[in-house]
Amino acid sequence: MKETWKKLRKKKLAMFGLVMVSLIVLVAIFADFFAPYDPSEQFFDGLTLQGAPVGPSEKYLLGTDLLGRDLLSRIIYGARTSLIIGIIANGVAILIGTTVGLIAGFARGKTGTVLMRFTDLMMAFPALLLAITLAAIFAPSLLIVALVIALVNWVQIARVIYTQTIAISEREFVEAAISLGATPVRILRKHILPQLVPTILVWATLGIATTVLLEATLSYLGIGVRPPTPSWGNIIFENQNYFQSAPWLVFFPGMAILLLALSFNLLGDGLRDVLDPTQRGKR
Amino acid sequence: MNYFLKRIWQAIATLFGVTVITYILLYLLPADPARQIAGRSATAETVENIREQLGLNLPLWQQYLNYLTDLLQGNLGRSYIQKAEVSELIMSRLGPTLQLMAAGIFLEILIGLSIGIFAAYKAGKAIDNTVMVSSFVLVSTPQFIMGILLLYVFAVRLGWFPIGGYGTIMHLILPALTLGVLGAGWYSRMIRSSMLDVLKQDYIRTAKAKGTPERKVIFIHAFKNAVLPIIAMIGIDIGIFMSGVVVVESVFGWPGIGQLAWQAIQRVDIPIIMGVTLVAAIFIILGNLIADLVSPLIDPRIKIQK
Amino acid sequence: MSKLLKVENISKEFQTKNKGVTVKAVSDISLEVKAGTTLGIVGESGCGKSTLGRLILKLLKASAGTISFDGVELEKLSEKELRSQRMKMQMVFQDPFSSLNPRQKIADIIREPLDIHKVGNMASRKKLVEETILRVGLSLEALERYPHEFSGGQRQRICIARAIILKPKLIIADEPVSALDVSIQSQILNLLSELKRELNLTYIFISHNLSVIRHISDQVAVMYLGEIVEMADSEVLFKNPQHPYTKALLSAVPQIDGSAGAKQILQGDLPNPFHIPSGCSFHPRCPVAIEICSSLKPALMPNSAGESKVSCHLINPPKAGGK
Repeated sequence: MKETWKKLRKKKLAMFGLVMVSLIVLVAIFADFFAPYDPSEQFFDGLTLQGAPVGPSEKYLLGTDLLGRDLLSRIIYGARTSLIIGIIANGVAILIGTTVGLIAGFARGKTGTVLMRFTDLMMAFPALLLAITLAAIFAPSLLIVALVIALVNWVQIARVIYTQTIAISEREFVEAAISLGATPVRILRKHILPQLVPTILVWATLGIATTVLLEATLSYLGIGVRPPTPSWGNIIFENQNYFQSAPWLVFFPGMAILLLALSFNLLGDGLRDVLDPTQRGKR
Repeated sequence: MNYFLKRIWQAIATLFGVTVITYILLYLLPADPARQIAGRSATAETVENIREQLGLNLPLWQQYLNYLTDLLQGNLGRSYIQKAEVSELIMSRLGPTLQLMAAGIFLEILIGLSIGIFAAYKAGKAIDNTVMVSSFVLVSTPQFIMGILLLYVFAVRLGWFPIGGYGTIMHLILPALTLGVLGAGWYSRMIRSSMLDVLKQDYIRTAKAKGTPERKVIFIHAFKNAVLPIIAMIGIDIGIFMSGVVVVESVFGWPGIGQLAWQAIQRVDIPIIMGVTLVAAIFIILGNLIADLVSPLIDPRIKIQK
Repeated sequence: MSKLLKVENISKEFQTKNKGVTVKAVSDISLEVKAGTTLGIVGESGCGKSTLGRLILKLLKASAGTISFDGVELEKLSEKELRSQRMKMQMVFQDPFSSLNPRQKIADIIREPLDIHKVGNMASRKKLVEETILRVGLSLEALERYPHEFSGGQRQRICIARAIILKPKLIIADEPVSALDVSIQSQILNLLSELKRELNLTYIFISHNLSVIRHISDQVAVMYLGEIVEMADSEVLFKNPQHPYTKALLSAVPQIDGSAGAKQILQGDLPNPFHIPSGCSFHPRCPVAIEICSSLKPALMPNSAGESKVSCHLINPPKAGGK
């Protein structure tokens, strides 16, 4: 553990990512403290006489949106939404993916083949379209959005865990455990799963970049988080008609998304280099 | 020969599997599929009619068989919101989307190759590092942001391109760029490392010893070897593009199946959404199949991979 | 002494990726091991001895044959019953580097058999672990460390500790010292001998090293291409080898007392296990093969002196013994 940290510290980009992630998480947790205004409060002077949003000013640091709400506050609270969904979705995806990959890789035989064929099948669907389909079928809610994203993202993790589980199962200490009389459950729990921790850790970080991006896209399409709950994606969705006259409404939230995804990507990539150099460069 | 047949058979099996999944999504998951298909503003009567037509009272396997037969005949169902056959809607819009995808792939390879080769050539120097970081940034940018950004800077501000729409090459460039630039980032990293590997190999040194100018050495010898992974990736790229077109077409107002899907989303028009998803999946399976069939022809070493 | 282990007609075939082509790793092997003795199984790499060891412990599923351990027929047991039987039969693996989980503390590794079979409580387990690690020659503070902090010989001691903590009846040692330095080898072998006496163990000792086998075994079985070609008491086999293969093996071993027999260099290479020769599988390399050796497979039978079991037509002519 400590060695990993030491190695990670040397990677400047990864450290930058870590710092940024921590900052954003901090802001999200203490949104009440950081946000200058209530994100749903519509200000009278937040709109021009013609009813258009107001640009960045002393009072509204990042300007206002189409309903006269302070953009900065909405972005800060939006961090909460995007992070929560990103983390939950990724967590569920890792749970499903690891379970499927583990069982398929350890049990092999028919169970393994069936599970992996199913995984391959799900991979044939383009992620976004599948997410859109699922989101359209189920009633909208924050939890559903997170679940939908998880259902789309678990396949990649399952594949990776599957190949790794097979490799680990063939190592001699697993054979030794069998010869001691360990049950399959015990072997999975005590011998195989611990070896998978580095991989899972890497996916826990990299995966959040993907889930955050997917949530933003879904919300931008109008099918993710629904207004008035602010999410970076739906802020852009709501204000897209103003993008020519009030481009900050698109680019400030956009930059926030970019920053968060980039930070997790840098951190995750650095972690991967440190923990498992063989996986370098994979998509 | 064996490998090719096996691979084709695999693709067919996957196609069938995909239809099963779409069937489940369409008819089994929703609480009331007939109502879902009819749309929010349909009358109770319409819903009942649909229920009859779709034979939702029949046993499951029979329903699926009907569904499959319809598919094989090119019938993707009907949109009650737009009052048209889904397959017709998709066919009429497929052209622009394919055009966009082709342009996207072209730009992606062009940019990816040039930057990758350039970065490999200047490996280790400051420029190379900048390239590496930028590719990270690219990968972390949501496509709709990239699209809006390009649109704003080059169309709204600079006026070089029209602000969305369809018709000429000028309309095509920005959306194709948006589609392709993401993958270009990834390609450039891959080309860079692949070329660095090749450049180290002996025969490059021999060519250099022979006296051919350095630039020629790099471009000719290393290029050939580095190109191979691109072919393999195109199949997978098609899949990613299929997702991308929904966003890109809606940002730029490009009349393809992506925009069709986007409209369908706004109106919760399930049959269209399912239809587009299915068509996209088919393209992905075909794309992967072609990539897998073509790779061994170019490099026999690839053969036994999967 | 009673028969602790009885193996009857054990075979193992492996399927290959090519349809229908199988490799017979172990062919129709039968043997018995008496309690308190050490059976040495010796042969070149690839002769199937490791596979045999794993078959006996049921780490691999046999294609045919039965195994009786301590009066219990292992094939008849359910998964759960088999796991319970494992308390009595343990294995020490060849590579002490890979047979230990790199992420487990030594204490946990040695205690694992107790945890699995729910022996005693945490306190009694801790005590037993401490006693065992001392017994194999390591100190108590080793318990808190991880495998990578130890040398090969020390890791093998840890493996042995893990194997004996449940006080099993049978231990199968698969090349336990082959990966170790020669100076360490004798230490480990001595440890194994001491433990055998103290705990009244029965060993099956697998190795390609004849001197080690001679040193430690009561009975010896010589394997070639998945079959036993000769089996006898250790003294008998080394003094009076019967089978041509055994003779060749022994002649290759440098003798310390300087008395070297005529060195018999075997012709040819070890055949491809996919294409086992017809008749006696050794006949292509055998310096004294006769015509019948290429068509009829010899059975493992006692020779005329009754001391050794040999599968060779020259020792046991087919007409006399029959099949």
